[in-house]
Amino acid sequence: MFSEKAKIHADACRFCWMCRHICPVGLVSGKEGNTPRGRALIVSMDSRNIPLTADAAALMYECCLCNACANDCKTGYDPTVFTREARTMAVVNGLVPPEVEKVIDRAMQGSLYAGEPDSSLRAAIERLPEKADTLVYLGDVTLHQSPEMALDLFKVLKAAGVEFTVLRDERASGAHLGDLIGYVDEVRLMSAACAQRIQETGAKKIVVLDPSDARFIKQQWGAWDLLQPDVQVITATSYVAKLLDSGRLRLRQLPYQSTTFHDPCRLARDLDETEPARRIIVAMGIPLREMFLNRKLTKCCSGAIIHQTDPALSKKIAAGRWEDAAATGADLLITACPGCRSVLGSQAPKGKLVRDIFSLLAEAC
Amino acid sequence: MEFRAFMVNMIQSELEDVVGRENVSVNEADKLTYGVDYFWVARMWADKGKKPPAPDFIVRPGSAEEVSKILKIANYYKIPVQTWGGGSGSQGSALPMAGGILLDVKRMNRLISLDEKAMTITAETGMIFQTLEWHANAKGLSIMHIPSCLTCGTVGGALAHRGIGILSTKYGKIDDQCLSMEVVLPNGDIINTLPVPKHAAGPDLNQIFIGSEGTLGVMTKASFRLVKLPEARRFRAFLFKDFVTGIEACKEIVQTVKPSIVRLFDEAETVSIIKKVLGFDKRGAFMNMAVEGNARITAIEEEIAMEICAKYGAMDLGAEYGEKWFENRITFFYPGHIMNNPQMFGTMDTISTYDNVERIYWAMKHAVEDNFPNVRFIAHCSHWYDWGTMIYDRFIMDEPPEDPEEAIRLHNQIWNAGVRAAMQNGGVINDHHGVGLKLSRLMKEQYGPAMQVFNGLKKSLDPNGIMNPYKLGL
Ligand SMILES: Cc1cc2nc3c(=O)[nH]c(=O)nc-3n(C[C@H](O)[C@H](O)[C@H](O)COP(=O)(O)OP(=O)(O)OC[C@H]3O[C@@H](n4cnc5c(N)ncnc54)[C@H](O)[C@@H]3O)c2cc1C
Ligand code: SF4
Ligand code: SF4
Repeated sequence: MFSEKAKIHADACRFCWMCRHICPVGLVSGKEGNTPRGRALIVSMDSRNIPLTADAAALMYECCLCNACANDCKTGYDPTVFTREARTMAVVNGLVPPEVEKVIDRAMQGSLYAGEPDSSLRAAIERLPEKADTLVYLGDVTLHQSPEMALDLFKVLKAAGVEFTVLRDERASGAHLGDLIGYVDEVRLMSAACAQRIQETGAKKIVVLDPSDARFIKQQWGAWDLLQPDVQVITATSYVAKLLDSGRLRLRQLPYQSTTFHDPCRLARDLDETEPARRIIVAMGIPLREMFLNRKLTKCCSGAIIHQTDPALSKKIAAGRWEDAAATGADLLITACPGCRSVLGSQAPKGKLVRDIFSLLAEAC
Repeated sequence: MEFRAFMVNMIQSELEDVVGRENVSVNEADKLTYGVDYFWVARMWADKGKKPPAPDFIVRPGSAEEVSKILKIANYYKIPVQTWGGGSGSQGSALPMAGGILLDVKRMNRLISLDEKAMTITAETGMIFQTLEWHANAKGLSIMHIPSCLTCGTVGGALAHRGIGILSTKYGKIDDQCLSMEVVLPNGDIINTLPVPKHAAGPDLNQIFIGSEGTLGVMTKASFRLVKLPEARRFRAFLFKDFVTGIEACKEIVQTVKPSIVRLFDEAETVSIIKKVLGFDKRGAFMNMAVEGNARITAIEEEIAMEICAKYGAMDLGAEYGEKWFENRITFFYPGHIMNNPQMFGTMDTISTYDNVERIYWAMKHAVEDNFPNVRFIAHCSHWYDWGTMIYDRFIMDEPPEDPEEAIRLHNQIWNAGVRAAMQNGGVINDHHGVGLKLSRLMKEQYGPAMQVFNGLKKSLDPNGIMNPYKLGL
C-alpha cells in the first residue's frame, strides 16, 4: 500500500502533462512510462484494481530522481515522492528487476562498485592527519570512479592552507541505497553508521565532494537528526568558492575559452547552489557559454544510479545532455560532480572534453 | 480479426525487425500509460479503477522510413494504427480504442534545420513543441505557437488537431504557421507537400493533413515560419460591464490594431477562475490583452486599444493584471487550479462570425444549464479574427453520477446538447481541440453532404481503414 502522501502526489500528477518536456528520460526514450504522469498513473492504479507489477516496477527505476519535474511544477507536487515509494514497494513485493537487484545487493554491502577504492587515492588519504576540524567526505563514486577529482580537491585545499582529514574507511552515506529502495530503516541504519564515524573524528565542518551525498546528508540526515547541531555540512564547491572570496585561495588565469558548465541537478535544484561554481570558473578567467537549460533548469545526465542499473538508458540520457552542450559550440564541458564527470566523460562526442571543476582549480593553483 | 496462437509473436517480431526489440512493447504497464489521454471519459474510466483501452503492440519508430515499414505491415495484417504524440489531446483521439498498434512517435524528435536566412525551422513531429520553441528562442526567434499545452504535446499533435496558441490573434493558428511537411501515407509511401503553402498549384496539401487526427497518415516532419522575439510586449487589462459589450469592443480593437493576446471572460469565469488565479475580485467581464513587436508601434497600438475600451465604458485596470495573467498563463492548467476528477467537465470551444457570437453563447449556455441540473457553464473568447472569434465554453459538474456508464451517458448528452446548439446557430463543432473520439459522431451533422469529401479521401488513402478507427467521424 502506498502512503497517503504518495497517493496525493500520484493522483495529482496522473492527469497532468505540464512537466513532461523537462524529463531527461522521457525526452530521450519517448516512452510514456518515462513521464511523471505515466508513472503517476501506474501508481494511482495500484489502489484502483491494477496492482504494481514487475514491468511497472522496472519503469519506476527508469527515473533519475533528478527533481526537474518537481522544480518545474507550479503547484508543488513531486513525482519523486511516489517513485521512491514505488521502489520500496517493489523491494517489499519482490518486483525489482534482476539487474537492479544486483545493484541493490552491492549498495547494501556499502558500495555500488565491486573492488577496492583507487590505491593512489588511498595512499594520499593515509598521508592526511587522522583528525582535523575539517573533514572531507568523498563518497562512493569519487572513491571508485573519479579518484583524480579527490586528489585535485586535496591539492586545492592544501594550496589554501586548509588542514583537513578524510576517513580511512569511509562508509556509504546511504544516498544511493535511499535512491534504490526508498528512505527505509536499512538506509537510516547505514546513514547512522556513517554519521557516527564522522562524529568520532570530532570534525566540525564536513566538506562533501559528491552533490548526491551532500544533498542526502544535509536534508535526509538532517531529518533523521544524525549529526550534532554544531557540525556544519557544506558542498566542496561552496567551500572552495568561500576560500576564494576570503582570499585564501589565489588562482591564475587558465587559457580555456570554449567552455560550458553542466549544473549537477543535486547542486542546482536540491541545494540551490548554482553560483559558487560559476564564481570559481570566472575567477580562473574562463568565459562560459551557458547551455539553454542551465542552473535550476539543468538536465540530468543520469549520474550514478541509472548508470549502474541501466547503462543503455544512461548512455542515451548523457547523449541528450551532450546535445545541449554541443548547441553552445563549447569544446570543454565543466562539471562539479563525480557522477556527472564519469557519465558525461564516458559519452563525450569526438573532440569534446569533460573536466571537473577541481581539476581546473588544481591547474590554476 | 483475432490472431491465433503464436501469430501475435510473429507480428511482434516483424515489428521488432523494423524498430529494434527495445522499441516494441507488449507489457501491461506500458500499455496502461497509453490508455488515458486528457479526455474526461478516459480519465474517469481509470479513476473508477476500470481497465483503460490497451493496444496490442506499442511501437516506437525512429524515422519516417520506419513508420513506412510499420504501416506496410499493419496494412498487410489489417491491424489498426493509432498514432500517439504526447497523449495530451482532450478528445480521446490518440487512444487505442481499436487495439492493434499504438505508434508513439516521440523518438522522432530531431531538429532538422533552423535557417535564419529563410526564417524557417524544420523538425521531426515527435518533438515536444516546447523543445522546438526553445531551439528558436536560443537564436532570438520564435514560432509564436504558444498554447497552454506547449510543454505537453508534440509538433505532430498540434498539427493533427489544428492547435492554437495564446498569441494567435497576431500570429495565427498552427495551420497558418506551418509551411510544409513530410507525411507517410497509410500505404507506406513517404510524400512531401510543396515547399511553401501559398501557391496556385491546386489545393494546399498541408491542409488535408493538418487536422486529420492520424486518420489519413502520419506526419513525420514539419517546417514552420519564424519571427524575431518581440522588442516590446505591453500588457493591459480592462473590466467591461458585461460580456456582450466586451465582444463589441474587442471586435473594434482587432479590426483597428493587431494585438497578440485578447482574452475576454464572461462574468461566470471572471468571478471564479480569474478571481482564484489573479486575485481580481469584481463582477463584470474581465479582459486582458497584449500588443507586441516594434516598441514604437506597440505604444501606439496600446493607446488606440485603450481609447476603444474607454469608448465602451470599460474600467482600465492598468498593466498589472495583464502582466499577472501572462505570468500565470499556465498556472490555470495545473492540478488544484484546473477542473479535475471526480468533477465532470469539458471544453466546447467553437468559432463563428461576429453576428453569431452572442447568439451561440446564449444558446449553448441555455442548452447546458437549462437541461442539466447542477451543471455550470463558463466561457471566454481568446482567439480573434477580423471576421469573428472563438468562444471557449466550458461546462462543469461537481458531482457527476458515480456509475461510469451513467456518467458517460450524461457526459455525451451534455456534449450533444452544447455542440448542437453551437452548430445550429452558426458555430462549428470545434475550434482547436479537434474532434477525436469525443465528437466523432457529430461530424456528419456538421458537414452534411460535404462529409463525402473526407470519406472519399479516407477510402482512397486508407482503403483498409487501419488509421485511427472511430475518430474524426471516419
Ligand atoms: C493542460 C492542457 C492545455 C491545453 N491547451 C491547449 C491550447 O492552448 N491549445 C491547443 O490547441 N490545445 C491545447 N490542449 C490540447 C492538446 O494538448 C493539443 O491538442 C495537442 O496539440 C495535442 O498534442 P499531442 O502531441 O499530445 O497529441 P496526442 O494527444 O498524442 O494526439 C492527438 C491526435 O493527433 C494525432 N497525431 C499525433 N501525432 C501525429 C502525427 N505525427 N501524425 C499524425 N497524427 C498525429 C493522434 O493520432 C491524435 O489523433 C491542451 C491540453 C492540455 C492537457
Ligand atoms: S509534478 Fe506538477 S507539473 Fe509535473 S505532473 Fe505533477 S502536478 Fe503536473
Ligand atoms: S525526477 Fe527527473 S527523471 Fe524522474 S520523472 Fe522527474 S524529471 Fe524525469
